[in-house]
Amino acid sequence: MPREIITIQVGQCGNQIGMEFWKQLCIEHGIGPDGLLEDFATQARKFHLIRFIYPLPLLLIYNGGDRKDVFFYQADDQHYIPRALLMDLEPRVINHILNGEYRDLYNHENIFVSDHGGGAGNNWASGYHQGEQVVDDIMDMVDREADGSDSLEGFVLCHSIAGGTGSGMGSYLLETLNDRYSKKLVQTYSVFPNQMETSDVVVQPYNSLLTLKRLTLNADCVVVLDNTALNRIAVERLHLTNPTFSQTNSLVSTVMSASTTTLRYPGYMNNDLVGLLASLIPTPRCHFLMTGYTPLTVERQVNVIRKTTVLDVMRRLLQTKNIMVSSYARTKEASQAKYISILNIIQGEVDPTQVHESLQRIRERKLVNFIEWGPASIQVALSRKSPYVQTTHRVSGLMLANHTSIRHLFSKCLGQYEKLRKKQAFLDNYRKFPMFADNDLSEFDDSREIIESLVDEYKACESPDYIKWGMEDSEKALTSEGSLAGSLDSKLTL
Amino acid sequence: MGDPTTADLVRELVLRLLSSGSRPIPSINDASAAAALRYALRLLASRMSPSLIPDELSLVESIKRRLAVSGRSPAALAFADLHSKLSARAPLLNRWALLYLLNTLSLDRRRSASSPPGGLPFLPLQPASHPPRASTASGAVGAGGGGVVRVAKDPENIREIALREFADLVIADTEVTESALVRDVLYACQGIDGRYVRFDRSSDGYDLPESLKVPRHTRTIVRRLCELGWLFRKVRDYISEITVDRQFEIGTVGQAFCSALQEELSDYYKLLAVLESQSSNPIPSAGSDSGGGTGNYLSLMRLAVWFTEPMVRMRLMAVLVDCCRVLRGGAMAGAIHNRAQHGDPLVQEFMSRLLRRVCSPLFEMVRTWVLEGELDDLFAEFFIVSQPVKAESLWREGYQLQSTMLPSFISSMLAQRILRTGKSINFLRVCCEDSGWVDAATEAAAHVGATTRRGGLGYGETNALEALVIEAAKRVDRHLMNVIHNRYRFKDHCLAIKRYLLLGQGDFVQYLMDIVGPELSVPANTISSFQLAGLLETAVRASNAQYDDREILDRLKVKMMEPGDGDRGWDVFSLEYDSRVPLDTIFTALNMKRYLRIFNFLWKLKRVEHALTGLWKTMKPNCINSCIFTDESFGVKLQFVSVLRRCQVLWNEMNHFVTNFQYYIMFEVSEVSWAHFSEEMDASKDLDDLLAAHEKYLNSIVEKSLLGKKSQGILRNLFVLFDQILQFRSLADRWFERIYELQLRGKSKSRSKSKDDLSKMSLRLDGGRKDLIHLAREFLRKMSEDLSIIAKEYSTALDAFIFQLPMQQHIDLKFLSFRLDFSEYYTRVSSNK
Repeated sequence: MPREIITIQVGQCGNQIGMEFWKQLCIEHGIGPDGLLEDFATQARKFHLIRFIYPLPLLLIYNGGDRKDVFFYQADDQHYIPRALLMDLEPRVINHILNGEYRDLYNHENIFVSDHGGGAGNNWASGYHQGEQVVDDIMDMVDREADGSDSLEGFVLCHSIAGGTGSGMGSYLLETLNDRYSKKLVQTYSVFPNQMETSDVVVQPYNSLLTLKRLTLNADCVVVLDNTALNRIAVERLHLTNPTFSQTNSLVSTVMSASTTTLRYPGYMNNDLVGLLASLIPTPRCHFLMTGYTPLTVERQVNVIRKTTVLDVMRRLLQTKNIMVSSYARTKEASQAKYISILNIIQGEVDPTQVHESLQRIRERKLVNFIEWGPASIQVALSRKSPYVQTTHRVSGLMLANHTSIRHLFSKCLGQYEKLRKKQAFLDNYRKFPMFADNDLSEFDDSREIIESLVDEYKACESPDYIKWGMEDSEKALTSEGSLAGSLDSKLTL
Repeated sequence: MGDPTTADLVRELVLRLLSSGSRPIPSINDASAAAALRYALRLLASRMSPSLIPDELSLVESIKRRLAVSGRSPAALAFADLHSKLSARAPLLNRWALLYLLNTLSLDRRRSASSPPGGLPFLPLQPASHPPRASTASGAVGAGGGGVVRVAKDPENIREIALREFADLVIADTEVTESALVRDVLYACQGIDGRYVRFDRSSDGYDLPESLKVPRHTRTIVRRLCELGWLFRKVRDYISEITVDRQFEIGTVGQAFCSALQEELSDYYKLLAVLESQSSNPIPSAGSDSGGGTGNYLSLMRLAVWFTEPMVRMRLMAVLVDCCRVLRGGAMAGAIHNRAQHGDPLVQEFMSRLLRRVCSPLFEMVRTWVLEGELDDLFAEFFIVSQPVKAESLWREGYQLQSTMLPSFISSMLAQRILRTGKSINFLRVCCEDSGWVDAATEAAAHVGATTRRGGLGYGETNALEALVIEAAKRVDRHLMNVIHNRYRFKDHCLAIKRYLLLGQGDFVQYLMDIVGPELSVPANTISSFQLAGLLETAVRASNAQYDDREILDRLKVKMMEPGDGDRGWDVFSLEYDSRVPLDTIFTALNMKRYLRIFNFLWKLKRVEHALTGLWKTMKPNCINSCIFTDESFGVKLQFVSVLRRCQVLWNEMNHFVTNFQYYIMFEVSEVSWAHFSEEMDASKDLDDLLAAHEKYLNSIVEKSLLGKKSQGILRNLFVLFDQILQFRSLADRWFERIYELQLRGKSKSRSKSKDDLSKMSLRLDGGRKDLIHLAREFLRKMSEDLSIIAKEYSTALDAFIFQLPMQQHIDLKFLSFRLDFSEYYTRVSSNK
């Protein structure tokens, strides 16, 4: 009922990570692949009061604890059905889902596959255009889900920014959602391409840039999942020589489910997405979040069991090697990078008194560099682990951080775009579509400008004079803008 | 003496002494030697000691003088020399004794030279030859002479003559015979006036009339003996006064005391009866009989001997009567107990006998109280008093210790325990309507064993009493704790209070805030609490609270505090948790009021947080970025960006404050206090412990949430901050409404133009557009001004708050300032000033 969140997964990558996410949620809530509650979960409800009086004073979660109705609704026959919309322009991944273990979980009315099934051919413009074509069908589905919820909190979009469907159709969706549901939150889990390997998608920089513009303008919060870093983590932290997509996807689903624990297990604080995001995003444009998770394990992998304490977890979360975004920063610039905000979601049996000690320790060691133009602190939310999931470690933690070093990721995107653009390569594919018809490439320039200013804003956040930033900058921009702006500017001075 | 070597040495010594002189060493079998040995052993075994002060110096002096007198001054000098060496060197202990012995021996030896030969001079070998009546001196040795004084036996006739003379003298001196006096004294001792001995009111005592001619010593002795009579009168009067007039007033302890006294008196009567029968035997006159007649006559002197023991008792009784005259119950027992601490075994024995009687009703009361919870106390003698109260205050006020009635042999700790045990039973009976305590009590009784029979406990068995009380307390308290925890689910209710009144159930609180919030902005007196109750029910059903126990949810109610002047709904709205009997003993009305205050405070905090997130939603990224920010054509972009950023930075600062305050409330206040409480709750063995733990819990929350008395100043400041945040919210809402409106107008204008000739059109700057820009600029200027004002006010208030924070002397507030200034932003700001 209250604060429902509708998940929209678009494209191949979006559907894959979405599938993992729902699998994880089902396990954590004790919901079987058919959408029915498992026996142990129905019993647990009965003696929850005994179950949850822990020896340790973790009582942030009371009684049965979990709130399934944020992400699920119950059908007439007691089935739990995810508030999820599955969309793709080619049937492969969705067919895989529909033939998989969890085929009965989803509402089949919520699945959209384009009729021709040809995909978007890794072309942003194609995806965008096709999205435009089927907007009625898609928005029908969205409206139906939205009407089915009492007080919709917002949408979560899972997609990748490099391909065709996830980026192009996702972009179109973002614009439409922003237009139609302007009061609702739009959060995205956006997978950034692996830039260490040569990709089979040569137009990746174009797609990324165009999507980034929508992420900047039309999303409230973007959780950046950087495939480069995910691979690095899989190789370095999990010792997988050649990580598969499903392995990196399970990392993603871990992050996604962990970042929603406070919504699913209500406590004193952080019970809704707005509250969670508001503190993380004080300035509207800087809404790109990094994540970190520890300790990481992948299915079937026996990890060395370490002793996990709150301090351990919080300290590890601040280490760059655990962060799922690679920042490409040179050391000089990295030392300038600052945290705008941090939220640590700690799961497990935690003594609340340890939190303070850990914070103190972190401050003493000066492990965190915060912005200087305003107060900031590490926020800590405690949450319970699902009773149905057995883990070998007592405490695990997720960090959501708004860190200025993310600008290097955007700079890198920009750089790659510039290289490609200079060569005027592959532009023909885009010119086929209305947005770029007549060789109108202003959309590219527009996007580039927006991303540049985003990078600048993040950079400005590193200085203590952020409040004044942009004034002189804009003045310059204004004077170069031409007579209109100039004339207005002179009038401004009265 | 049992030491064989000592015995051997003594034998050796005897034999040596006997053999001195010309005689050969006699064998031990020699009769005379054996006799001498026996005698020596007897001497040594006896406690006889020379009646001398063991003064070494004087002894030395006397020896020296004797030597000098006997003309042996060199020997005297030599002696002095030797003595000083001896005293300087040898660490002899009994130097005096040695010298004395040597001296005596030497004297004896000298005398033995003149005495008839026949053995040891000092060992009289023929003790049997002395006549039986002879009084041998106990070997007294004159200090000066050092010799032995012997009283020689007088010739018999001389003594007889003297006695007769004496008797004649006595008879001539008195008018009354001694036997008459004895009889009178006996009368007096029963409180009756005799022929001569009368009670004299003026001197308050029995006495012989002045006119009667009796020897002084007789008069004195009569007086002394009659003290018994005086004491007796006193005791008897007291008893009769109690038993006749004040029987009910004095209570059971007093009655027991009287009966004990009565018993003592009847012993005393028995003695008097015996004495009286003896008094009829004639007193042999001084000279007339020399031991031939009956021994059972009574003289005044004999009476004095007879009376020593009863006198002690009677005196004690009189003293007790005196000190107990105004006391009752436990106080009386205590007073008697205080007198029982006496070294004299006679007194002690007497007193403990008395106390056993006196205390038995008291102990019986303790027994019924701790095992049955009954106050069997008609005369208000017990150290626990009850008063009729309502069930909810039964525990706190229903029973009280009365320290004046607490006998001193029961320690105050034990008394507390006794009080609590009975209280627990009564609490179970009255408030919990539980009868399981009977089993617990019987169990306890069985465990302690036989001492718990009715009247089985007595004074002096304080240990047994304590064991009984401890055992009963343990079991009854355990039972009570079981009942409270299991049947009345104390912990669940505490958790429920924490969840609902302390806002722990976040989703519920949020939903409640969503639906109740709009209702609360109106003046307090116009709010219908009925409607709010409906909303509360909705919130419960909409959140996870719906899975909670119905019994718990039924207790959750909306409560409006009394509205003051100009109060809005926000100021008076509160949730209430209905605590029913018996838990209202813990969640008293007063405590619930404190919970309400905490709720109101947390609710206010939540409201502020809610307002801030609401504002964030208004200016959330995709609204700002896509709609306003890109609106290049507007021309006031720069101005807008500047204002907007200041607005966001201020928002960030406020949000930082509120969020961290919330974190502080959650981690440092709510959870930590709860963790401690939970620990103490599990450890508490009785209701008092539980009450104390709960009190501590509540106090710690109140104190740490700045609701305590000491932090009123800072709390006021906090509310100022809250008000400013709310004000900011409403201002910002208006601003953004206006901005969207302006933008809409701008959009509709720009949309009317087609894309390609936009540049041309904008160059034209038609009048409407100009107006719009002017309007926007004007508005933004105003907004900027307002923003500056509120930002300034806010930072002043925040500075004051942060400045006040370290002065609260509350250790946990350090955590708050730590959190607020985590990135040391405020430290920097204040150091820059």
